[in-house]
Amino acid sequence: MNLIEIYIQEVTRRLPEKNREDIALELRSTIEDMLPADYSEDEAKAVLEKLGDPVTLAGNYQDRPRHLIGSRYFDVYLTLLKMILPIAAVISLITMLAEYFIGYSGDQTVIGIIISLIGKGIARIIEVGIQTFFWLTIVFAMIERMDNRKDNKPLAACLKKWTPDDLKKIPNIPRKKAISKTEVFGSLMWTAIWATLYFYANQLVGVYQGGNNGIEFVTPAFNQNVLLQYWPIVVLVIGLEIALALYKLTARQWTKNVAICHSVVEVLGTLVFIVILVHPNLLNYDFITYLTNLFSITASQLKMWIVGGIISIFTVFAAFNVIDGFRKAGTR
Amino acid sequence: MSQLLQSLTTELRRGTLTLAVLSQLRTPQYGYSLVQLLEGSGITIDQSTLYPLLRRLEKQELVTSSWDTSESRPRKYYVLSDYGVEIFLQLKKEWLKNSQQLYSLLKGEEEDEPN
Repeated sequence: MNLIEIYIQEVTRRLPEKNREDIALELRSTIEDMLPADYSEDEAKAVLEKLGDPVTLAGNYQDRPRHLIGSRYFDVYLTLLKMILPIAAVISLITMLAEYFIGYSGDQTVIGIIISLIGKGIARIIEVGIQTFFWLTIVFAMIERMDNRKDNKPLAACLKKWTPDDLKKIPNIPRKKAISKTEVFGSLMWTAIWATLYFYANQLVGVYQGGNNGIEFVTPAFNQNVLLQYWPIVVLVIGLEIALALYKLTARQWTKNVAICHSVVEVLGTLVFIVILVHPNLLNYDFITYLTNLFSITASQLKMWIVGGIISIFTVFAAFNVIDGFRKAGTR
Repeated sequence: MSQLLQSLTTELRRGTLTLAVLSQLRTPQYGYSLVQLLEGSGITIDQSTLYPLLRRLEKQELVTSSWDTSESRPRKYYVLSDYGVEIFLQLKKEWLKNSQQLYSLLKGEEEDEPN
């Protein structure tokens, strides 16, 4: 078969069945028009060069869009992607943590737990990210192909054409007053972390020592039964912290009410923390012995240092947070 | 020519291509005769754009086509439809108006330039 026939085939095989024959016929007659009656292969090549890459030519014959998502839907697509990706990532992380601790058998070291959680977390986020990206892109690519309207104007995020009235819907939040989503997710994450530490303190919090089998958990810092006496009030604090995070997420900026709720939760949390910490039998006896030997101080000195130190740090942080909240709420 | 200038020039020409093709289709033409006509007037045209453009114009009902099999080589002829003539005349008017406006704009620019 000669070059011209191959060229025509290369073009037409990329076209819809019904047009193939007609376009092939027209192309052949056009190419022959451009050639002398008795042509050489070089002349044929020169003509084909003028027509260009068969893929481009075939593409020009087709009306179908040659992009996945065009300018009409791109903005909406990007907005949704930015909105959905972090939400999906956080939800998948939280479910992963929950699944893990429900199925926790208690025979792993803390390093093992942390490493496997980080590994699983990264894997889960990548997996969920790829899934989200894939399905959203597929959906938009399909919308792009089903939309027959000729109007090519980009759409606003609500899938309608932009009008000046859309401006009224945009809340005007000064930068200094805004509550970022990162902040909210960060505080949720913090709640999840300390709640885990609280309920699994006998397996997680304590003294670690390098041994023959890597790092070993020598002795827990707290008496778990003393710690768990307080569970109803701790659960209440957890609930309040989650409620506060959701409230902040919907309020989107610091107001007086947000600052008040924030202070209430902060003060309550700190109080509960202090009450638990000053319980005389909170610290594990083995833990106290271990540390007194290590630093050669008496048990009462040690208790004072640890408890006093932690309480002052937490109180300072809580006070700072409360003041910061009111300061932001007062900003104009 | 720098790459930017080239892409800007291509962009500038793109819109005029349809008008140029329509103007030559008052009498029936086949693909290659159209290329020759346009090149005769100094308009270079990318052939991989021209043939698909003819089909698109036909789909938009601006031109009609017919196969002529009377000669040794069958040829597809394109000619403006009534609707096509109407659109062409309006498009031509639009183009003349636009180029006149642009011309006076550019002329004013020229007078401002220091000699």
